[in-house]
Amino acid sequence: MLAKISWKNIWRNPVRSFVVIGAVIMGIWALLFLMSFSNGLISSYIKNSIQNETSHLQIHHPEFHKDKEIKYIIPEAIDLENELRNDPMVKSVARRTLCNGMASSAKGGRGVMIKGIDPEKEIEVTGLDGKVTQGKFFDTKKKNPILIGEKLAEKLKLKLRSKIVLTFQDAQGEIVAGAFRIVGLYKTGNTRMDELNVYVKDSDLSRLLNMENSSHEIALVLKDFEQTKPLAAEWKKKYPELLVEHYGEISPDLDLFQEQIKINMSIFIFIVMLALIFGIINTMLMAVLERMRELGMLMAIGMNKIKVFGMIVMETIMLALIGAPIGMLFGFLTIRYFNNRGIDLTSFSEGLEQFGMDNFVRPEIGSDFYIQIAIAIFITAVLASIYPALRAIRLKPVEALRKI
Amino acid sequence: MKEIVIKASGVHKTYNETKVPVHALRGVDLEIEKGEFTAIVGPSGSGKSTLLNIIGGLDRPSEGKIEVGGKDISTLSDNQLIDFRRENIGFVFQAYNLIPVLTAKENVSFVMELQNRSKTEVDNRVKELLDAVGLGDRGDNRPAELSGGQQQRVAVARALAPKPTFILADEPTANLDSTSTANLLDIMARLNKEENITFVFSTHDRRVVDRARRVITLVDGKIQTDEHFKR
Repeated sequence: MLAKISWKNIWRNPVRSFVVIGAVIMGIWALLFLMSFSNGLISSYIKNSIQNETSHLQIHHPEFHKDKEIKYIIPEAIDLENELRNDPMVKSVARRTLCNGMASSAKGGRGVMIKGIDPEKEIEVTGLDGKVTQGKFFDTKKKNPILIGEKLAEKLKLKLRSKIVLTFQDAQGEIVAGAFRIVGLYKTGNTRMDELNVYVKDSDLSRLLNMENSSHEIALVLKDFEQTKPLAAEWKKKYPELLVEHYGEISPDLDLFQEQIKINMSIFIFIVMLALIFGIINTMLMAVLERMRELGMLMAIGMNKIKVFGMIVMETIMLALIGAPIGMLFGFLTIRYFNNRGIDLTSFSEGLEQFGMDNFVRPEIGSDFYIQIAIAIFITAVLASIYPALRAIRLKPVEALRKI
Repeated sequence: MKEIVIKASGVHKTYNETKVPVHALRGVDLEIEKGEFTAIVGPSGSGKSTLLNIIGGLDRPSEGKIEVGGKDISTLSDNQLIDFRRENIGFVFQAYNLIPVLTAKENVSFVMELQNRSKTEVDNRVKELLDAVGLGDRGDNRPAELSGGQQQRVAVARALAPKPTFILADEPTANLDSTSTANLLDIMARLNKEENITFVFSTHDRRVVDRARRVITLVDGKIQTDEHFKR
């Protein structure tokens, strides 16, 4: 009975009810879109960082991160690589030789991270071949091929097929230099990384370092991203002599961003719901004040205060719950549309690339967020109804009946 | 032995909302028996509505005691009073005060649903009551689709629905034309005679006074006359 009368009550003034329903729809739609946009932006950063830099997991010598000295190699890295490759949770593995050095051209020099890779395995882990914008991905018989970032090429005023000299310390601490020929320029979408990392063949680098079959880094991509942290924890125990890290440990900003998404969501929800609360309170208060005489009559004929309170709360919840699914549907459709199409932010590309974010943002949001919104809307409606409902039950029937 | 339905003993009501206290009732003693058809009359400001509100448990006396069916309602809490009114008192208001979003049937059934009566019982009683007030064919109409007289008849049916101890009607005919007034009074008089339902009116309306078997005149918050008529 209460539900029936509440439902009928909300249609007494359809325009006013539609205003509240519209506010709920707009609020939820805006919330979903903003969150999905923010989520898409941050996700692209995390995805790019994982793909280009950290992979899901990395293994190093425990001391390697201190100074990145080349002496800190992974013992029996080839055997370990093969063992990991056979793990059912692992999708791909790449072994790398790393050293800091100087890249020089006729026009200048810059500090770089030289990564010695096995091109075929690197493709499986980072998809680096897909980021080559000029030239080829080591598909050459030329001696000492090198792949450098477009940004570094621009800084050193180098072009495809230009010669570049890499200078670094070998295993014995001697300074060695090698001339490399640029076979390709790449662009990952993160200009900082493109300026820092140069890729050479592992065999070429190992030879110059006098470190055959030695590796500093094993990067892994898992079949299921969600298993990254549990597997890292498991491997930390399994390989106590090695440093096993997941992407969040390698690059703490990625974990920070993930946390930031959650915090942003909570703040956005809070702000939108706060605005809705005041809108709903205003409407429900008007509805109560307009019906004072009727509410007085209801209490006079025996409707107790709990039922009067419940009726006002139910009216508010109904208003909110009519708007919520529609807002969610609009939000879902908008997100889906822009997720397929992408939002072009090319005009901000310079800034975005500094942070490793894509120029095309694809809004995305998890299904759990819809549930969070539904719960938030329900709580909002209940909170918003309390004041008008209290006003209703504080009425004295004898006074309310005198109201015109 | 006659059954006393309402008993007011030394009822005073003083409003202190203004600088000068207003004494609306000054020591009213009154007994109303079951089956009476009583009109409380008097000039404006004589305390008619105040007395009706106090008898109906909508207001509390400043002094004195009100007993309904032997129970002192002056001591009940607000919530207890609501429950008491639901089970014992039927109200008919001057402005009908029907719920505009409900049909005539729903308005009548509303209080019974508050009493948690079974659906069958509610449906049967609604039909019976709407037939009794001559609106058996208008049950699905909303108040806005009914005339003033018809709305007031629905209000009477609603007041009777919970099978109350008595019905209080505050100026029930004030907004009605002569035909509707006569019609409504006929219905209430018939229910009073046939079903021995107690009616207490506050009224200015001569037509109501002429039908009442007991007329209590209030002046300045005191009972001036209390007359019984054989009608």
